[in-house]
Amino acid sequence: MKISYNWLNKLVPTHLDIDEFCEKLTMFGLEVEEVVQPGKKLDNIVIGKVVSVEKHPNADKLSLCKVDVGKSEPLSIICGAPNVVKDILVPVAMIGAKLGDFEIKKAKLRGVESFGMICSEKELGVSDEHSGIMIIKQDIEPGTPFADAMGINDHIIEVEVTPNRPDLLGMIGVAREVAVMLNTEYEHPEIAFEESEVKTKDEILVIIEDAEKCPRYCARMVKGITVQPSPAWMQRKLVASGLRPINNIVDVTNYVLLEYGQPLHAFDYTKIKDKTIVVRTAKDKEKMMLLDDTELKLHSENLLIADTEHPLALAGIMGGLDSSINDNTKDVVIECAYFDPKNIRASALEYGLQTDSSYRFERGMDPNGLIEVIDRAAQLIQLTGGGEISSGVVDCYPQKIEPKVLPLRVSRTNSILNAKMSADEVENYLNNFEFGTKKTSEDTYKVMIPTFRPDIEREIDIIEELARCYGYNNVESHFWINRIDNRQKRTVVRLAKNHLISLGFYEVNNMSFASPDDLDTLKIPENDFRRNVVELTNPMGEQFSIMRSTLIPDILKNVALNLSYKFENFKLFELNRIYLKEREDTFAEPTYLTGVIVGEFDPFYWKEKQRAASFYDVKGVVESVLSKIHCSKNITYKVSHQPYYEKDSAADIFLDEKKIGSCGIVKDDVLKSFEIEAPVLLFDIDLSNIIPLYNEKDIRFREIVKYPPVLRDIAVIAPSDIEVGMIEQVIKSVEPSIIKDIQLFDVYTGRQIKQGCRSLAFNITFQSEISTLTDRYVDKLFDNIVKKLLHEHQIELRQK
Amino acid sequence: MKEQIQEILEEARRSIPSCESDKNLEELRIKYLGKKSSLSGLLSKIGTIPKEKRPQMGAFLNIVKKEIAQLIEQKKLELHEKADALKTLGLDVTMPGRPLPIGAKHPLYQIWEEIEDIFISLGFEVAEGPEIESEYYNFDALNTPSWHPARNPQDTFYLKGGMLLRTQTSPMQIRVMEQFKPPLKIISTGRCYRVDKMDPSHLPVFHQVEALMVDEGVTMSDLKGSLDSFVKRIFSADTRSRFRPHFFPFTEPSAEIDILCINCKGEGCKLCKNSGWLEMGGAGMVDPTVLEEVGYDSEKYTGYAFGLGIERIAMLRYGISDIRKLVTNDLRILKQFQ
Repeated sequence: MKISYNWLNKLVPTHLDIDEFCEKLTMFGLEVEEVVQPGKKLDNIVIGKVVSVEKHPNADKLSLCKVDVGKSEPLSIICGAPNVVKDILVPVAMIGAKLGDFEIKKAKLRGVESFGMICSEKELGVSDEHSGIMIIKQDIEPGTPFADAMGINDHIIEVEVTPNRPDLLGMIGVAREVAVMLNTEYEHPEIAFEESEVKTKDEILVIIEDAEKCPRYCARMVKGITVQPSPAWMQRKLVASGLRPINNIVDVTNYVLLEYGQPLHAFDYTKIKDKTIVVRTAKDKEKMMLLDDTELKLHSENLLIADTEHPLALAGIMGGLDSSINDNTKDVVIECAYFDPKNIRASALEYGLQTDSSYRFERGMDPNGLIEVIDRAAQLIQLTGGGEISSGVVDCYPQKIEPKVLPLRVSRTNSILNAKMSADEVENYLNNFEFGTKKTSEDTYKVMIPTFRPDIEREIDIIEELARCYGYNNVESHFWINRIDNRQKRTVVRLAKNHLISLGFYEVNNMSFASPDDLDTLKIPENDFRRNVVELTNPMGEQFSIMRSTLIPDILKNVALNLSYKFENFKLFELNRIYLKEREDTFAEPTYLTGVIVGEFDPFYWKEKQRAASFYDVKGVVESVLSKIHCSKNITYKVSHQPYYEKDSAADIFLDEKKIGSCGIVKDDVLKSFEIEAPVLLFDIDLSNIIPLYNEKDIRFREIVKYPPVLRDIAVIAPSDIEVGMIEQVIKSVEPSIIKDIQLFDVYTGRQIKQGCRSLAFNITFQSEISTLTDRYVDKLFDNIVKKLLHEHQIELRQK
Repeated sequence: MKEQIQEILEEARRSIPSCESDKNLEELRIKYLGKKSSLSGLLSKIGTIPKEKRPQMGAFLNIVKKEIAQLIEQKKLELHEKADALKTLGLDVTMPGRPLPIGAKHPLYQIWEEIEDIFISLGFEVAEGPEIESEYYNFDALNTPSWHPARNPQDTFYLKGGMLLRTQTSPMQIRVMEQFKPPLKIISTGRCYRVDKMDPSHLPVFHQVEALMVDEGVTMSDLKGSLDSFVKRIFSADTRSRFRPHFFPFTEPSAEIDILCINCKGEGCKLCKNSGWLEMGGAGMVDPTVLEEVGYDSEKYTGYAFGLGIERIAMLRYGISDIRKLVTNDLRILKQFQ
């Protein structure tokens, strides 16, 4: 539904600027989809009066015009239109005006200068007419902006009207709704006219044969009218709402449709045989020719408006060709009816005829509003076409449709909205909606629902209307959830566990008690934090006398047990708390993830030789777990000196500067103390520092880089004590934004390599996010890498 | 020239049929028919022989070329048939695929996750708290009288310095209520400790899940409803519960919860010791004293709480009759829970 803001303001002054108004309207339930300002693109286009027309000296088809645009001197403008003559008013696009993408400039046409352009309707977007320039028939002062003169200096608000609200398909209905929203009044148009001596009922007879499909039919007559173009003000409003002016009779029916939402039809009186309108269903296979020249073959469910012989219109959908208004029509019969929505919907659907009229009738019009509408139409027809209005309305309304009366409880309303509206407030809102109210007790009303609101059928429907008045955003939010949630920890724990399981680990569950001897067995030094144990005063035996401060002893005991059951290759982990005493009565319960790999890393496969797990296997597990819980950045590995690892076979894991765990090969004699006779790889990570860093919202889509990566291999000979991690850092540092990835792919020591050195080969990925890398540029970076490795670290390029 | 051509043909007749692979065959094709082949070389020299012999020689060359091409084509087909046959012979779909690792979560923790997920789907939030607790949170604030036997060192582990190991997850009720105003709908899960000798139905270290809801208008019906929703989902839709009056210091009225035996559905069996019912835990409406203790208006707000043993639920679900199986960490058990 398109709403002209100017028009609306005449019915109900809003005193709001357009943005504020649209915001309010949307929040009240009429969603604003678009606001257009048709006048905006017409800047610098003004009304001009052609004061003289001469032939162009050098071109037959061009005219040289002088046009008064309200300035001291008329403008010289060259015009090619055939219909340009002296003394007409025309739209003039002045220098600087923009018509679409085309800007008007001073131009020379065949040697004569032109200072603007006289426009056609099409060029201004008013219509498709472009056979000549637009001629303005009203009397308007030259120089007046075209948009003002044509009344298009307006905002057209396109609102989504939900299918349950047919009452909002007309300006009056919208004005009523806006008045409720702003708690103010709106105006109906003033309807007053004189009726002639002739009585309508003597001129026309209406017979309703099927009162179910047509509960009410009203007719009026205006005699002796002139069919002619409608006045400018009416045309402007039609154009603003997206309708094309045709002639005053058609325009009036359209205008009243915009105003009231109620479709009307006008018949040429002389075409109605026997002066009788029969509302009946069609005979099977009865034919009729519609206004748009299509012929329909009808059946007995289709409702017709007919005379005694022929169909005049397909009721509520489209008029017939024969009875339509033409330029010679003198006497007009106006139809204003209420049809059964279901029947209109079925017929419209059946013949694929979705008209402005069917659109409204199938949603349900107001059966009790017809008299006002038909009077308004008669008034406007007389106003625009003269003639005499016959006296009275022929109103065929066999069974009056009464307004519904529904009970409403204020308490129920408040309990649904968690509101505290008083009965008076509720009553006031209801009256604003033009709902009748009768108080039946402290808490209850009888509410009379006007027939223009077919959507209100139950108490809860009324409550919805009250809710809109109360304001959805004034309803208190009853807050439940997301205050305590331990989701972060739960997510990290589950991710880590699920990942380890898919790597073949089994989870174990050990009790929290431990023996102090366990720490000695692990050779944990006296000053280690794990010595700050929590002691029980009433333990269930010496071996349960402390709370465990590490998960390692228990999991090693699990290893020994399962080896004794003849399992040789297996992986276990435990994710649980350890317990530390911090001060006299403060304790910490950090969560640890501890795991072991026993025997071979990969599951047995007949085709391949098995291989015992190595340090790099356990490190690989640690790296992948950390990466899975989004903690791979800022992690570094340094040689570990934990006493329970073999020398030079373990790493400590650091998050920034903080040590968070370790991994490596467990020392033989430690294993022996646990009665384990198989190599065991261990990892032990404090998750407490990692969990708070996890944030699933960190995952953001990044646009795929359009520019191709360049891959280069580099092989270097480096002293064996230089760590690969350091070399990778050096390479990366040469151009961090371009060097995206460095993969070690070969390590070699042997005869061809200098003593105390090793050959390392890396695959380097270069990629830019802003351009395609040239070979020359990559060569330069590669050179810089070689130089930096050589000069700063004595690492040589390996010669081939 | 004719002899040369003849020789090439003879060679091709020998070499092509003995060829073993596609690759080899392609090499031969290039050798005999390619642009640089000797036949092509001979064709270019055809201008050097007497004019009248040229057409004859040309025709002969073409016949030879055709024959070689045919030989190659025939061989190609032969090779492909052989390859297909080999492929069919070599595939044994019953041989094991490459084994990839499979592990498993511990059955207790699987159930724990399932319990959390059910309560989360019922709109509960999950709170965790310390296992090392003070007497205040574990007993005093929960309205436990000083004479209550649970406080004895025969029942509760005490630490040097006076703290204790929580005997239930209920202290989290207090901690959460101290921090947040109603409405509240939480579960708290975790390890609890009681001085119990290890036997088929007792461990000194066990796990509990505890639910707490406090709001205006919370009734005992809400307690029963949320408990029923839970047991129907963790066991089966036909699981029913019943409440027996009991005593807990922090709920009033208090009840013990039984569910209809999931094994015999109430007929009576070994699992339920012929009673038809299984004891699941304790429940009740939060005692007004507890609400007042955390500063709630006990006239305005009401609440319910119930606590269940996770080991108990796991044992029933998996059919484990000895609770100690849940801490042996024997791979012969763990591998059953993939």
